[in-house]
Formats: sequence, C-alpha cells, structure tokens
Amino acid sequence: MSAGPPAPTPPSVSGVKSMNCPNCGAALTVRTFQNAVTVACSHCHSILDAKDPKLQILQKFEVARGEDEPLIPLGTRGTIRGVQYEVVGFERRTIHVDGAPYSWHEYLLFNPYKGFRYLTEYNGHWNDVSVLKSLPTVNDTEPPSVTYLGEKFKHFQTAQASTSFVLGEFPWQVRVGETADVTDYVHPPRVLSSEKMHREVTWSMGEYMSGHDVWKAFGLAGDPPQPVGVYENQPSPLAANVVSIWSLFAIFVLVLLVVAMLVSTFTQRKVVFEGTYQFTPTITGEPSFVTDPFELPGRTSDVEVRTVANVSNSWIYLNYALINQDSGQAYDFGREVSYYYGYDSDGRWSEGGTSDTVVVPTVPAGNYYLRIEPESQTGGMRTTVYRVIVTRDVPVNSLYLFALLALLIPAAAITWRSISFEHRRWAESDYAPSGDDE
Amino acid sequence: MMKAYLIYGIAVLSLLVLAEYRGWSFSQINQVKNVPKSVRDNPGSYRSVYGFYHHYTGGK
Repeated sequence: MSAGPPAPTPPSVSGVKSMNCPNCGAALTVRTFQNAVTVACSHCHSILDAKDPKLQILQKFEVARGEDEPLIPLGTRGTIRGVQYEVVGFERRTIHVDGAPYSWHEYLLFNPYKGFRYLTEYNGHWNDVSVLKSLPTVNDTEPPSVTYLGEKFKHFQTAQASTSFVLGEFPWQVRVGETADVTDYVHPPRVLSSEKMHREVTWSMGEYMSGHDVWKAFGLAGDPPQPVGVYENQPSPLAANVVSIWSLFAIFVLVLLVVAMLVSTFTQRKVVFEGTYQFTPTITGEPSFVTDPFELPGRTSDVEVRTVANVSNSWIYLNYALINQDSGQAYDFGREVSYYYGYDSDGRWSEGGTSDTVVVPTVPAGNYYLRIEPESQTGGMRTTVYRVIVTRDVPVNSLYLFALLALLIPAAAITWRSISFEHRRWAESDYAPSGDDE
Repeated sequence: MMKAYLIYGIAVLSLLVLAEYRGWSFSQINQVKNVPKSVRDNPGSYRSVYGFYHHYTGGK
C-alpha cells in the first residue's frame, strides 16, 4: 500500500506561487507549494513537471473547449469537517462497463497543515474522501468483503479506471490515459476504495455527502445538480425506518391482541333466542313466519344470527328480517346454508357446510322478533330442519383482520421501498441480476 | 415518518375499539324503516329485498 499523496510540507511563506506555462505562456498558479508534482495548464492542457524549474512538458492532451468545467472552480475554499480546504486539482476518471463509459469527477482539496483530501462527484452524488492511514482487513468471504475500524464493507465493483481529463496541480505524476484497477467496497454511507497502480495499492474511504452540503461548505451560488439514480454508498432514507416501523408494528399487534382478549372477556355473548324449524318446499301455503319476541339488552351493539341446517347435497335459503316490534325498524338480510359432497376422478370433494353465521351491526336495545322466509330446492319431499340461534354482543373477528391489514400495509410498503432502493443500488454493481445492468 | 405511522396505528386501534363497542361489522344488511306491526299477524305481507337471490345449486 502506498500512503497516497505524500504528507504535505507546510509552506515557508504563505500565498501562492505564480509561473508561466512553457507551452502557451499562460499564467499558472501553484497553491500546494512544494507539494505539487505536476501541474496541468488550463489553457493548452499541457501537463508540466512542477518539480522542474523549467516546467518540463510531460504530456499534452486534446480536449474540446469547455469540455469539462469543474462545478467547484479551482481556488475555491470551503470548510469540510471544520477545516478549510482549497480546491487545487480536478480530474475526470472513466470506467467502461459492457462497453459503456461511466465517468466521475475528483476534486483535490488541500490544506497546508492537514494535507490532501478529495471530493468526488458522480451524477450529482458526492463523497468526501480521504486516504487511509492503516490497512483494512480483507475477509475470506464470498462475495469478498473487507473490515475497517469494525465496519464490514461488501464488495461492490471492480473496474479499470482511466484518467481522461485533468486541471490544476497534483502531488503525484498525473497523466491522462493512466489506468488503475479500482475496487469499491460499500457500507453506506461509507465506501472503501482500493486503487492499484504499478504494484502500489492505495486505500481511501469516502463518506456520502449531499450536493447541498457541498454547496454550503464551499459557499457556491445556485443549486447543486440533482442526483440521478442510487449511488453505491448512498444511505437509504428508509433503512432505519424499516427496523423502527416493524418494531412499532409488533407493539401494535400486541395491543391488538390485548384488545382482542379484553373484548373477548367483556362482550356479553348472550344467547337471546333459539328456535328449531323445518321446511318442506312442496307444501303449499305461505312459507314465511315470525318468531316469538325476544329482548336485546344493553347498549347499541351487534347481533349474531347463526343458522344450522341438516342440508346434505342440498341447500336452504332464509330471508331474515330482524324487526324491532316497537319502532318498526327492520334489519333485512338473506343467508344460505348449502352443503355438497361426493367423489369424482380427483377423489373426495365437498363444498359449503351445514351452518352459517352473520353479524348484524349496530342494533339498539329493544324487543325484537325474526321474520323468516325459507326457500329450498324444489323436487322430492326433502324436509330441511334448521336451527336459528340469536346472540347479543359478539366479537367480530373480521374487524381484527382488517385492523391487522391496515397496520401491515404501511410497514410492508416502506419495507418494499427500502428493498427497491437496495435493488437499485446493487443493480449498478458487479452483482446485478442479469438484465439490470444499465 | 415514524410519528405519522404511530398516529396512524393509534387511530386504527382506536377505530377498532370503537367498532367493537358500537357493534360494527362488514355484513351486508339492509335497513328498512317503519315495518307495520301487522307483519306479526301476516308475515307474508312483508317482502324481503333478498327474496330474489340467485341460489347456488351446488355440485362440482
């Protein structure tokens, strides 16, 4: 591992050093004092040897005019982690994935006492990057991972990056076209990167920054570019919420269970009427009849009407009306009890059952009776015997299922969005599911 | 977001308790007002709105 850029040498005098480009004569400003190893002329794009008093031209590269303007101009000063840095260098680096180029920008920052650090920018995503002073531990895992200061970083991507544009000064021998094997390991909001070049490996750590924080740090005018997509170490805005929301969901489910137990304990479940009847469809005459009156006591509450019939490969349909004999208010509903069974090529089958339950909601206390009008299939002399049981104030299980679903939906939606965020993150990695490469 | 979910969850549970207390259910019930007292003597004079239900005849 290399130490990256060499440790800075504090200046003997404050200020900047001015020189002229030997190629085009343009004025050059050197801000990193004797730390500068190469300087790139912003006019003719010559890379010069800053250690040579004659500024030997090391390389010239061709770019279109205004091809890549830094979003933070060279010489801009800003405060990062309480330390003032100045932007002294700018480079564009490019990788190719499946033949498509992906470029990001690196801003070299300098403080004469603290040294160098970087800001990187890709599609509006920013990282504050500094070179590591100790090596991470490479874990023997698949996929690969490294551990640094107790944090485990997962391998994200390995690619060959080439420098495609430079401006300003650098404390190393920068060249356009030079390549390095770059490997990124992520543990949002941090990323560990190793760069291997000429047998040297440099490790650095980046921490995700929002464009607004960068703009604020450097006092830049306007707004930063909007981030596009999800970046490799971009912290998920929902990851912390997922754990919290499921914790809260668990508490709500506990409360739901307590409510269910309390309701089960305190509901009356009072059987207020029971009657057994029979119906033969071939008998002529009015099939409807009314029951004896019964009292529904207590507060306004629900009423359960349960029907049990001896149907066997047959059905009975009952038109019910629960009528308040004082007010004339009726609750009208129809219920069917049907039960069919048999054998076929798939074996034994059955459909339906011999009982049915319905809960009539919000019935005030009072004296009621049931009007019952049975119907059944015609043909034969089949007599259906059925029993009607009316119970006051019963728990309604479907309400709990509804409440559970209502509580579950937001938690599931946030989890799904979080998973989707991670899916979009890893779609840009070496582990993207096939078809996700963009 | 957590605060919103907390308020939402409390609202759901409160609604559940209210629904249980008031006896709400999802059953399809038709309410009819002013049923004449004569129905007790002549049940056939009342016509249920569910009287024309299409009956299931069963079988596989």
